[in-house]
Amino acid sequence: MKTTFTVTAALMLAGVLARPVQAQVDTVRATTLPPAQLAEKLYNSGIAKFNQKSYRAAIQDFDRALATRPDFSKAFYNRAATRYELKEYDQAVQDYDQAIKLEPESFTAYFGRGQARQALSQADAAEQDYTKATELKADYAPAWYYRGDLRFEKGNFKEALADFSAAVKADPAYAYAYHDRGSAQRQLGNYAAAVQDYDQALKLQPELLPALLNRASAKRRAGDLKGALADFSAYLNKVTDNPVAFNNRGSARFDAGDYKGAVADFSQAITLNAGYAFAYNNRAAAHLKLEEYKKAADDASQAIRLNAQYAEAYLNRGHAREMLRDADGACQDWRKAAELGLENGSAYANAACD
Amino acid sequence: MKFTRLAALALTLLLAVSASAQSVEFSKDRFGNDKEGLKAAQKAIKTGDEWYFADPPKYERALPYYLEAQKFNPNNAQLNLKIGDCYLNSGFRPRSLTYLQKAFELDEQVDPRMHYLLGRGLHLNARWQEAIAEYKKATPPAGAKNALAQQQEIRKHITECESGLALMKKPTRVFIDNVGPGVNSPFPDYGPVISADESVILFTSRRDNSTGGQTDPESGGFFEDIYQATRNGKEWGPAKALADPVNTEGHDATVGLAPDGQRMLIYVENNGGDLNECDLRGNKWSKPQTLGKRVNTNAHESSASYSPDGRMLYYVSDQPEGGLGSRDIYKIELEGKGKAVNLGPVINTPYGEEGVFMHPDGKTMYFSSEGHNSMGGYDIFKSVYENGKWSKPENLGWPINTPDDDVFFVISASGRHGYYSSYRDDGQGSKDIYQITFLGPEKPPVLSNEDQLLASRVAPVKETVLAAAVPVATTQVTILKGVVTDAESKQPLEATIDVVDNQKSQTIASFRSNSQSGRYLVSLPSGINYGIVVRQEGYLFHSENFDLPAGAAYSEVVKDVALKKLNVGVKVVLNNIFFDTDKSTLRKESTAELERLVALLNETPKLRIEISGHTDNVGNPAYNQKLSENRARVVVDYLITKGIDKGRLTFAGYGLTQPVASNTTKEGRQQNRRTEFKVLEK
Repeated sequence: MKTTFTVTAALMLAGVLARPVQAQVDTVRATTLPPAQLAEKLYNSGIAKFNQKSYRAAIQDFDRALATRPDFSKAFYNRAATRYELKEYDQAVQDYDQAIKLEPESFTAYFGRGQARQALSQADAAEQDYTKATELKADYAPAWYYRGDLRFEKGNFKEALADFSAAVKADPAYAYAYHDRGSAQRQLGNYAAAVQDYDQALKLQPELLPALLNRASAKRRAGDLKGALADFSAYLNKVTDNPVAFNNRGSARFDAGDYKGAVADFSQAITLNAGYAFAYNNRAAAHLKLEEYKKAADDASQAIRLNAQYAEAYLNRGHAREMLRDADGACQDWRKAAELGLENGSAYANAACD
Repeated sequence: MKFTRLAALALTLLLAVSASAQSVEFSKDRFGNDKEGLKAAQKAIKTGDEWYFADPPKYERALPYYLEAQKFNPNNAQLNLKIGDCYLNSGFRPRSLTYLQKAFELDEQVDPRMHYLLGRGLHLNARWQEAIAEYKKATPPAGAKNALAQQQEIRKHITECESGLALMKKPTRVFIDNVGPGVNSPFPDYGPVISADESVILFTSRRDNSTGGQTDPESGGFFEDIYQATRNGKEWGPAKALADPVNTEGHDATVGLAPDGQRMLIYVENNGGDLNECDLRGNKWSKPQTLGKRVNTNAHESSASYSPDGRMLYYVSDQPEGGLGSRDIYKIELEGKGKAVNLGPVINTPYGEEGVFMHPDGKTMYFSSEGHNSMGGYDIFKSVYENGKWSKPENLGWPINTPDDDVFFVISASGRHGYYSSYRDDGQGSKDIYQITFLGPEKPPVLSNEDQLLASRVAPVKETVLAAAVPVATTQVTILKGVVTDAESKQPLEATIDVVDNQKSQTIASFRSNSQSGRYLVSLPSGINYGIVVRQEGYLFHSENFDLPAGAAYSEVVKDVALKKLNVGVKVVLNNIFFDTDKSTLRKESTAELERLVALLNETPKLRIEISGHTDNVGNPAYNQKLSENRARVVVDYLITKGIDKGRLTFAGYGLTQPVASNTTKEGRQQNRRTEFKVLEK
C-alpha cells in the first residue's frame, strides 16, 4: 500500500535529520492521508467554493485534486464548469476534453463542452457536442434545446423546430423550449402555432416576459393587431425600459393606422436609446403617413447618421424628399437603398428619375 | 360651355323685387353723402349690365364693372348675385360661391333659382355634400315648367357630386405645378402639346402682342396665336410665337403634335371649326393645310392627336351622323379613303368628349368627357385599347380633375408628366399651363423591427451542472501516537509497530518508533478493524485494537506502550482476540493475534503460559466465570491445534475477580473484558 511507504519514508527521513520532535510529527501527519481520499476531499471543497461563487478558489482545489489524482474525471469536469463561469472558455474546453477522454459516456461533459464552444462562437463544434449529448442521453432536454437554438441561428428553422419539439417531449415543463419553438414557428410563417407555443411558455413560466413580446409580434404578423397591441401593452406595463418593445408596439400602431400613437412609441424608444436607428427610421415612416415630410426626412437622416448602410432609412428619406420636391435627393436616396439591397429602390428610381 | 342659358335668369333679375331688409340699395337715401361715389358705382353697374344682358351675354366683360360697384356697396343682393353669376360663367368659377352666398344672405328671395346657383357654387368648390343638399332643394316639382329637363340636369350634377365624393377619398398622388413665366403670361395660356420627350412645348395664348394685334369682338380678348418653348434644364422657355405662316391675324390654336415634334395639328374657326396640319421643316413650320373633307365636316372638329406611327388620327367632332350625342371621338386613317369611325359607346357618351390625346405607346388614350363618372364638367379619362377593345375609361381622379372643366391633357412618353391648362389662384393672372407630376401609388414606408426570438439569449439561464460531491473518507482517520518504553527502565525504546488488518489477518504497515524518543505515530483510516502490535526482540509483544468502522470520525489517540521483557509472572493482554457476543466462539478477526501467540511459543520453546479469561462485573458471576473459562480453553485449544504441546498451556476463567480497570465506566468495563496470558515458565 502506498500509504505505508510514504509514512515510513517520512518517518525515516525525519529520523535521519533528527529534526525536532514536534516538527517531525507534523510532517508525518500531513503526508499520511491516502492520495485518493485527499483528491476527493479537495474536489468536494472545490464544489463548496464553486457554490459560494468563489470560482478562483474552486479552481485551486480542483487543480490540487487533479495533481493528486490525474485520472479524476469529475474534477476535470467541474474545473471545466468553473472555468466556464469565469468565461475562460478555451481552458474549459480543454478540461471537458480530458473529462470526455476519461469518461467517454458522460453526456454532461459533451453538453458542457458544447456550451463552452458555443461561447467561443464555434457553432458547428458546439452543435456536434450537443448532438453527442442527445445520443448519449435522449431525454436530456437542454441538449436538444441548445442545439435547436444553434440551428435557429443558422436559419435552419425546421431542424430547430424538431429539436425544440424533442426538448419539450423530454421535459414538458420546459418553458424556454416552448418559447423558442414558437419563434421557429414564427420564422416558418406558422403564426397561429407560434402564438400557441408562446401561450404555453407563458403558462409554464408567467414571468417569461419575452414570450409576451414575441407573442405580440407573432400576432402582429398574423394580422391580429388588436391582440398584438394588447400583448405589447401588457408587456410594457411590466417593463418600461425596453426600447425594442416600444419600437415594436409603435410598428403595430402604425399597422393599425394609429400614426400619432406610433410616433409616441418610437419617440419613447428613442428616449430610452438615443442611438436606436430603427426607432428613428420608423418614426420617419409614421411622419410620412402624417404627411409631415420635413420631420420624416430629418428622422430618416438621423437613422442614416447612426447607420450609414441603413437601406430602409434611405428608402424612407427618398419618399420624404420626393414629397418635399427634392426630386434629385429622392432619386439619390432610392438608388442608394437599391445599392444596399432594397429592390424597391430601383423600381422607384426607374419610375420617377431621369 | 355650361350655363349659357342665362336669359331666364336675366329676366328673373329684371323682375326681382329688391326689397330685402338687409340688401343695401344704390340710392341717394343710403349714399347721399357720397353722391360722386354713388354716381360712379351706378355707372359701372350700367356698363356691366350692358355686357351682362347682351346676347349672348359677355360675363367676363361685365365682371370688372360689377366688381368696381361692389367696392362701393358690397351689400347689394342683386349685385352679388350678378357677380356670382359672372364668375359661374368665367374662368375662375369657384369664386362665384362667395358672392352667391352673400346674395342669399342679403335676400333669400333674390332669385328663384338661388338653391340651384348655390348648388353650382358649392359643387365647383368641391363641397360635395352641401352641393347635393342645395341641388335637392332646387329640384322642381313634377309638372313645373321645364321640370323634366331641370330634374335631369340636377340629377346629373348630384351624380357628379357623388363621383367627386368617392374620387376625392382616394386622391391621385400628383404634384401640379405652374410651368412658370417662361411659358405662362398674364393672358390666357392653354392647349399645350408636347413632343414625346418633353423637349418641346407648343401652346396657344391670347397675348396683347398677338399677330395683327386685334381683339376678338366676341370675347374681347386678343386673337389666339401659337407659341413654342423648349426646355432649358428644368425650366421652360422663354416662349416665342410661331412666325408666319402659322400664326395669322385670326385664331390660331394648337391641338396636337406628333411624338417627334415634326407635325402639328391646328384648330381654325373655318367651316364651324376645322383641323389643319403643318410640318416642321428645318426650324420653320410650313403653312397649315386642311386635313380634308374626310375629317373636316360642316360640324365642329376640334382637338386631334396622331397615332405614334402618324398614320391614324384621333379627333373630336360633333357631327350628328354616327355620333352618340354632343362631341364624340373618332379615328381615321389619314392616308386611306375610309370614313372616320366613332370610337363607340365605351368611350363616347351622350355628353361631350373633348381633348383627345393618344400616348406614344399607341394604345393608351387620354380624353376628357362630361359623361362617365365625371365629378363635374369635363374630366380627364384614360382608356387602353387591348384585344380589340377599349377598356372602361378610368377617371384620372382628384386633384387632376376638378368640378370644373379639365380638358386638353397631354402626357409625356415616360408617363411621368402630364400637361394641361387650368384657372388656378397660383397662376399668372388668367388660365395657365400646368405640369402634372405623377407620383404613382403611395410608396409604402418601410419599418424596421427586431425581436429577441431566443429565450436563452434574451434571458440566459445558468446551465452549469457540477458533478456531485463524492464521499470522502480522508477526514475519517484515527491518529494513534505515543511513546514506546521499556516497562522496567522506562527508557524510550525503538520497537516495531505493525498495523494489522484483523479482518484480512494481514499486516498492512509496519513502522519503527524513534530510537531516541520512542515516539511513534500511526494514521489509521476508518473502515478497518486494526490490530496494532508493538514488538521488539527480547520483549513480549503488546497488542492494541482499534476497530474503526467506516465513517468513524477523526480522532487522535495517545497510547504509550511499555514493553515488558519476557519474565515469569508477566501478563500480556491479548487485545485482538474476539469472541461472538456471550459466546466462546473465536471470531475470524482473532487469527492474526493467535498466530502471533503461536509464533511466540514456537520462538520460545521453554515458554509455558496460562491463558486466562476475564469479564466485567455485569451479569451473573458464575456465568461470567464459566464464560471466561470457556473462552480461555478455546484459545488453548486453538494453540494445541497449531501444534503447541498442551503441556505448555493451562487455562483459567477468572470471571470478574481480576479487574484491571474500574467497572464503573464503559471504557473500564471494556478493558476488564479481556483475554490474557501470563508467563508461567520460560
